[in-house]
Amino acid sequence: MTSKFSPLRPAWSALTTTSAIITPAIVTTAIAVSTLAAPSGALAQEADPQAVITIGSLYEPQNLDNTAGAGQGINEAFNGNVYEGLFVLTDEGDVEPRLVEDYEISEDGLTYTFTLKDGVTFHSGDPLTAADVKSSIERVTAEASASSRKRTLATIESVETPDDRTVVVTLSEPSISLPYNLSYVWIVNDAASDISNSEDGTGPYELQEWRRGSALSMVPFEEYWGEAPDNGGVMFRYFTDATAQNNALLTGGVDIITSIQSPDALSQFTDNPDFTVSEGASTTKELMAFNDRVEPFDDPQVRAALARAVDNGRLLNAIWGDYGTLIGSFVPPTDPWYVDLTHVNAYDPDSAREMLAEAGYPDGFSFTLDTPDYDPHPIVAQFLQNELSKVGVDVQINIITANEWYTKIYQQHDFQATLQEHVNHRDIVFYGNPDFYWGYDNPEVTQLIADSERAESTEQQTEMLTEANRIIAEDAASMWLYLYPQIVVSAANVTGYPVNGLNSQFFVADIEKTQ
Amino acid sequence: MTDRPDAPRPDAPWPDAHRNDPRAEAHDGPHVSAPAEGPRSAEPTETSEIPAAPPSPRRRSRPAAVHWLGYALVAVILLTGLLSLVWTPYALSDMAGSRLEPPSLRHWAGTDQLGRDLFTQLMIGARIALIVGTGAVAIGAAIGIVAGVLAAFATRFLDDALAAVFDILIAFPTLLIAMLVVAARESASLGTAILALGIGLSPIVGRVTRILTKRVLAKDYITAARISGTGWPMVVADHVLPNIAPFLGVNLALQFGLAVMAEASLSYLGLGAPPPNASWGRMLQEAQGTVYSAPWAAVLPGLALFALVIGVNLTADGLRDRFDPAGREG
Amino acid sequence: MLGYVARRLAILLLSLFIAAVVLFVLLRLLPGDPAGALVGVGATPEQIEAARAQIGSDQPLGVQFLAYLGDLARFDLGRSFVSRAPVIEEIAARLSVTVPLTLAAFVLALVLAVPLGTFAALRARRWSGLLLSVVAQVGIAVPVFWLGILLVYQFALTWRWLPSGGFPLRGYEDPWRAVQAMVLPVLTIALVMAASLMRYVRASMLEVLGSDYLRTARALGESHTGALMRHGLRNAAVPVVSVLAIELSTAFLGAVVIEQVFSLPGMGSMLLLGIQQRDYPNIQGVLLVTTLLVLLTGFLADILQRALDPRLRQEGGQ
Repeated sequence: MTSKFSPLRPAWSALTTTSAIITPAIVTTAIAVSTLAAPSGALAQEADPQAVITIGSLYEPQNLDNTAGAGQGINEAFNGNVYEGLFVLTDEGDVEPRLVEDYEISEDGLTYTFTLKDGVTFHSGDPLTAADVKSSIERVTAEASASSRKRTLATIESVETPDDRTVVVTLSEPSISLPYNLSYVWIVNDAASDISNSEDGTGPYELQEWRRGSALSMVPFEEYWGEAPDNGGVMFRYFTDATAQNNALLTGGVDIITSIQSPDALSQFTDNPDFTVSEGASTTKELMAFNDRVEPFDDPQVRAALARAVDNGRLLNAIWGDYGTLIGSFVPPTDPWYVDLTHVNAYDPDSAREMLAEAGYPDGFSFTLDTPDYDPHPIVAQFLQNELSKVGVDVQINIITANEWYTKIYQQHDFQATLQEHVNHRDIVFYGNPDFYWGYDNPEVTQLIADSERAESTEQQTEMLTEANRIIAEDAASMWLYLYPQIVVSAANVTGYPVNGLNSQFFVADIEKTQ
Repeated sequence: MTDRPDAPRPDAPWPDAHRNDPRAEAHDGPHVSAPAEGPRSAEPTETSEIPAAPPSPRRRSRPAAVHWLGYALVAVILLTGLLSLVWTPYALSDMAGSRLEPPSLRHWAGTDQLGRDLFTQLMIGARIALIVGTGAVAIGAAIGIVAGVLAAFATRFLDDALAAVFDILIAFPTLLIAMLVVAARESASLGTAILALGIGLSPIVGRVTRILTKRVLAKDYITAARISGTGWPMVVADHVLPNIAPFLGVNLALQFGLAVMAEASLSYLGLGAPPPNASWGRMLQEAQGTVYSAPWAAVLPGLALFALVIGVNLTADGLRDRFDPAGREG
Repeated sequence: MLGYVARRLAILLLSLFIAAVVLFVLLRLLPGDPAGALVGVGATPEQIEAARAQIGSDQPLGVQFLAYLGDLARFDLGRSFVSRAPVIEEIAARLSVTVPLTLAAFVLALVLAVPLGTFAALRARRWSGLLLSVVAQVGIAVPVFWLGILLVYQFALTWRWLPSGGFPLRGYEDPWRAVQAMVLPVLTIALVMAASLMRYVRASMLEVLGSDYLRTARALGESHTGALMRHGLRNAAVPVVSVLAIELSTAFLGAVVIEQVFSLPGMGSMLLLGIQQRDYPNIQGVLLVTTLLVLLTGFLADILQRALDPRLRQEGGQ
């Protein structure tokens, strides 16, 4: 599971939450944080406020502009650290105001009036004004924008700036997740020119230096409006190889690894008092997506039969040893609409054979599985090939690059089945979009998901999406294999880092290091 | 090697070092050509381009036992590869064991992440290494020999042009050319990897063929044959190919090792033969992530690769000694 | 000599032009749409069209080719599709890693190979010489990335003497750490290169040892070592120099694999990333600069060889 090409992970895997649903009211989500190894006595010492924290990551940004295909790495490094939004999605999964002091929603839910915080300045020294917010939102919704979030903000009709501290956003229809969606919109100084190679945000850190292929460093911003960071700066060191990254942590080259890629690497850290291993709440789902438009996968019975033919527990063990979770659907336990659906189409090869015969494939069939060339997909594909051969289904593995995946599968829908990991939380909404790459088209689900966006309360929203969750599971809309574990490992003298990394964010301001 | 201080010896195609060393072979072209090809090819000294053989009286001192070791290694790998066609301990995709079992009586080389038998994969890997080596060398030879013979027969202008193209292509190592070819194909496959490596090897073969052919063409009996009206296809078939065959054969044997190594590097970079091909390079790549919990899974394919390359190199040495009368006399 | 240099230079430029054309054609054959990768998931067809127009991939190939040649003539390698940064700047930053890496490995390989190769030749019939030959044979058959991983395991993980990979952010402004970061990669390349070089040196020395003039010199009463030093080394060096150029090029390009093992921000990792992302300007830039360096190395080696070998000098001067 040395991910040779991890940095080349499809840039879109970080951007896949094209829509998400959350109320402005804080949704408390229980997120289990278990510390597997107790930190050593280093905790007793005083943290060094000047210490520079080095963070190891496999996701180097392609550029510095999150609307220009920069990949998940830019969210990891910049969200909440260099740039801030009107709202912030915290590591606990709550949406909280950040640059917004106060806001009002009209009766009909169509007009949001935001009052901006006072005394906020950009790194260049310019003060934050309503015009900056307007241009930042329009940068994302602009015709030429390459932002994947453009569609989620499509309900925005206009952005007005009655005065320097007030922004009025008018919607074409109610959108319960507007604050959540705005948490992705970086507020950028409207005077900034080239933000793909430099930055001008309002965050607690400013970019110091970026050496492509190596590292990116940031230092605390002196004029920051909020609380000053607990450390003297942060450096993200980028690796192309998970083994190299682990080695760096072992030898003190980095202080933290944001996500461990294999259980074998973990064994070096779990029994070692010099390191802390933390398991957070994961939202990364490995799945085999059928093309639900084409034969034989347009038949739910065939999809269900294949789901029953695969022993997901054994697969999870092969990839992750004792880590990870089976969820039986696309919804992880951190989403409010999670229910345990592992019993739906559970492993049962005999019934799989019967269902295939009933569906008109007594002798099985053959299909091509387009497999991205980076881990864990090739090994998962081989497992599926082996399992499905036992019910007479012949799998042809076709290895493709991330780029080809994008063109062939995501854009052209030219595939039978493919493997992919989806990293974001609250992304069940993909099943409400019949034009999405997997082409799942169940009018009932589409309606439920659309209605949930116009819901009047969180409870109502949760109820609708739970129902949608059940339906997609029974339809076997895709083959959900497992939920990755989310494991952060650090040197024992480093504390205060986020462990969930929701939507690839990694807030660094609270990290402390003792000498 | 016109640049040698001592007189060219037309009996042997290249100096000692080059014969032993696949990497050296690979580069035989440009360093021969660099000084000689460019401006000097206009001068009537074509024969002097031919690398001279050293008298190398001491080379004989290498014990023949070393060559026998080479033959033995190649034979064992060849037989293993053949055996894998009819018998392996388990089926390739049979997940018979549990995750990363250490070597045992049940699984002689342990198991991989999915519980598949590694010894089975090693056996099939031997077959794939042989296919990759043979296939790549065959493609490289087909393109290289045609281009090389053509260049040797061609007008000076075409000869110069071809020689320049060989040089440019050799400037990109096999691995780099292979990477580009793999990337240019719609999807990776064993065939693509072989084709890529073959194309990568072809300029090297072309280079050597051209030099060898020129050497033969300079001989009196060729001149005699041509004067007597023999057509060039006959000259190629009757004189050139039989004469260059032994030396070219040794060279190709060395390219074989080069191809197998390059496939491993391609696989390491994630551009090699896709699963379920159990190529040794792919096994190495997969094992690298689990090297701490299952070191044997990384060590064994590495050793196999090493054994094949060293076996082929030693075999090439041995073959050269057989075919090289100068060497035998020495 | 001057005439030779001029002709050699003309060939260098012509080769570079051919390489540029070949690269352009080859890269346009790569499948996948670079514009698609730029805009990411959820993009509309209009967004993709906009991205195509932005990077110029909507133009006819002929137009793209002419624009490409025009840019090359002005030493402009364009901007990366992905990072939007000028290719030449990124190459410059990455060359500052790859070039020292290659040169240091090359020098170390020479330092190892010349004495060891000479020794192996002098002791060709004794066990010590044979042993060296065997070691060289082994060194050639070891996959370079395997050796790299092995060295990391021993020097970085077990002994903790050196960093396991990476390169300091501030580069050579942080000289101590930059040097530390280079030690293992240099060692890896140097060992493999030394094994191969040693064989050339040994063979070349063997040849010189067997030559008539050396026998004559010895018959005239010079000591073996004295004769070797006076007549052997220079003659043995001539063929080795031509090999060196190739070895240097190979090392330079072989850095692709080693930079991967050691997470170094060099040309190799830039190329690999470019291939994955179909970032044509980056791939093109790396390969063009690499070709230039390889051809330049060959050019310099030829000139050096002429200078070393009086016979060639005469012929070339005709």
